[in-house]
Amino acid sequence: MSLSAYVPILFLFALAAAFALFSVGVSQIVGPKRANRAKLEAYECGIEPSPEPVGGGRFPVRFFLVAMLFIVFDIEIIFLYPWAVSFNALGLFGFVEMLLFIGTVLIAYAYVWRRGGLDWD
Amino acid sequence: MTTAVDVLAQELQIRLPALDYLAMGPMLVLFGGACLGVLVEAFATRRSRPFLQFWLSLIALVAALVTVVRAANNSPQAFTADTAIAVDGPALFLQGTVIVLGMVALLLMGERRIDKGGPFVARASVPVGGEADRRQARESGSTEVFPLTLFALGGMTLFVAANDLLTMFVALEVFSLPLYLLCALARRRRLISQEAALKYFLLGAFASAFFVFGTALLYGFAGTLRLGGIHTAALGSTANPLLLFGGIALIAVALLFKVAAVPFHVWTPDVYQGAPTPVTAFMAACTKAAAIGALLRVLYVALDRVRWDIEPVIGAVAILTMLVGAVLAVTQTDIKRLLAYSSIANAGYLLVGALAFSREGVSSSLFYLAAYGFTVVAAFAVVALVRDEDGEATHLRRWAGLGRRSPVVAGLFTFLLLAFAGIPLTSGFTSKFAVFSAALGTSGQWQVAMVIAGVVTSMVLAFPYLRVVVMMWLSEPVENGPMVANAGTLTWTALWVGAFATLVLGVYPAPVLDLAHKAAEFLQ
Amino acid sequence: MQPGYYIVLAALLFTIGAVGVLIRRNAIVLFMCIELMLNASNLALVTFGRINGTLDGQIMAFFVMVVAAAEVVVGLAIIMSIFRTRRSASVDDANLLRY
Repeated sequence: MSLSAYVPILFLFALAAAFALFSVGVSQIVGPKRANRAKLEAYECGIEPSPEPVGGGRFPVRFFLVAMLFIVFDIEIIFLYPWAVSFNALGLFGFVEMLLFIGTVLIAYAYVWRRGGLDWD
Repeated sequence: MTTAVDVLAQELQIRLPALDYLAMGPMLVLFGGACLGVLVEAFATRRSRPFLQFWLSLIALVAALVTVVRAANNSPQAFTADTAIAVDGPALFLQGTVIVLGMVALLLMGERRIDKGGPFVARASVPVGGEADRRQARESGSTEVFPLTLFALGGMTLFVAANDLLTMFVALEVFSLPLYLLCALARRRRLISQEAALKYFLLGAFASAFFVFGTALLYGFAGTLRLGGIHTAALGSTANPLLLFGGIALIAVALLFKVAAVPFHVWTPDVYQGAPTPVTAFMAACTKAAAIGALLRVLYVALDRVRWDIEPVIGAVAILTMLVGAVLAVTQTDIKRLLAYSSIANAGYLLVGALAFSREGVSSSLFYLAAYGFTVVAAFAVVALVRDEDGEATHLRRWAGLGRRSPVVAGLFTFLLLAFAGIPLTSGFTSKFAVFSAALGTSGQWQVAMVIAGVVTSMVLAFPYLRVVVMMWLSEPVENGPMVANAGTLTWTALWVGAFATLVLGVYPAPVLDLAHKAAEFLQ
Repeated sequence: MQPGYYIVLAALLFTIGAVGVLIRRNAIVLFMCIELMLNASNLALVTFGRINGTLDGQIMAFFVMVVAAAEVVVGLAIIMSIFRTRRSASVDDANLLRY
């Protein structure tokens, strides 16, 4: 296998690097510079971070449910990779099988959604 | 040097596997029914769910049974899905058995009159004793149990037909994961139930990790995951035999764990005691059938050329299982734990049949699984019926004098216990006789040793059973002792079906024995 | 690089996980040890796939990963419900089932 297959990837890297350098550089040159206190704080949204998080570093149990749901739905992607790689070889049969698979995942999603697993409060 | 990409490129000339949908019918129907059940759970109103779910599950089970019968009548025995699934006699027989036993257990799960709202809890994670807990004690219980049961049954029907280790592993997990959840959902004594689920889960996940590593070693040995390929490689391969025997040992650990054989039995009493009684009945009947079915297939299809090497090890496990199960059953004071140790001992008897390495060995094991399943489901139906104000009265002392207060239930339970003890004219006698004579038919020294151990432990086991019988009929009734609950038709149907099957398979076993004998040929 | 080394590494990781399951007492840690065992098996599967020159090992590894994720979710759900009903994740605290 020749290296020429990787040229598009190299090109993509170059494009991404150029875009990053360009936007950082241009904002340095063009952007207005007005100092205030908020800009010296840590770059985060929301409240100011404190050394000791509330509750000794614990976080609400709701995160656990979200994380679990994320893991389950996320891991299904693993079957999409080999399918996508051999999509042409698999043809219509593979396509229908994958539709069925995603339909099954959707059934689980419908259950989670209807039973309030996605509600934050 | 070939890179992974090159291998992939070669493999890309993909042959699509031929799928025989009729042969896979039972699995498709059960999984489809379970998916429908999940949708019902998502979109139906809370009030209509118990009714819808119960009947949906029952219809799915009936449909699955019909497909099993049709597959048995129509198609010749064949592999399907590129030999991942073997639709042969033992697979079809066990699929039918598991589905029928699942139906009977489903009747117990659907019972909504003994405990108002059913034997399951709606939200298992509400703190015990709190206001929310008192409120949900009056509510209808969880209906997710029905789709979960269907998923478990689908996994079991796949497990007994799985012809490669990958399919077997996936099926193992598909039936195990719902069972872990079902164990945690008891309405009464929820803490014990959750604790049982945790133990079952941690040990079960531990065992399936062993299964995967064993699979990896066997794959390294044979270069394929197919059971037939391992069979071929076991004689001709130049690969390191350490891989073969290491792999067999690790896979055996996982399968013997599911069978509940000593020394992998520690979870059994705890889980049987803690799980909701209908789930215990389901596990005792169906999980045992599925696990023994897979063990038989691995032994007979993949490993029959190394049987001389594995016979001493599994033979020793069988003898230990019978001894430990029987001896510890004598010391039990809780009826569910007593039945759990009896189930362990019965795993030993099943291993005796499996290790006969003959057609009779397979057919007697198949018959044993069907007979034992009916008896054990009926026995747990009785356990679900005998109650006092705290729920099921499982302590044996509380059962004293039950015969005077509820002669019908006590009489049925006496009959079931006699069947467990192997008294003639019950299925227990027929099935024990079948496995022991199959083992003697092979007449190896291990088989003889196992039969001796089997007869001795049967006599030991008769003692705890008869003690319960004596207690029910001859002891003075205890003060405000348990009553037989005012149950609906479902529990009574399950109880009578189980007891009737126990009687018929004891008095007139010939048709089922014939069926098992005809089915007892594994597809190589 | 000898693929045999990877098998040895996988066996070591598997053993570490198995020993961890036997000696640790926190349910979450037990759980992580089981995951370690599964991942060690994955390593062995992939390595044997390379040695044998077939893709079955990699496919099996995919399935093991998915099953492991499902197992994580079921296990954590059980552990969480125990934690909520009694506020502890230690296996030794779960001790109602003794005889």
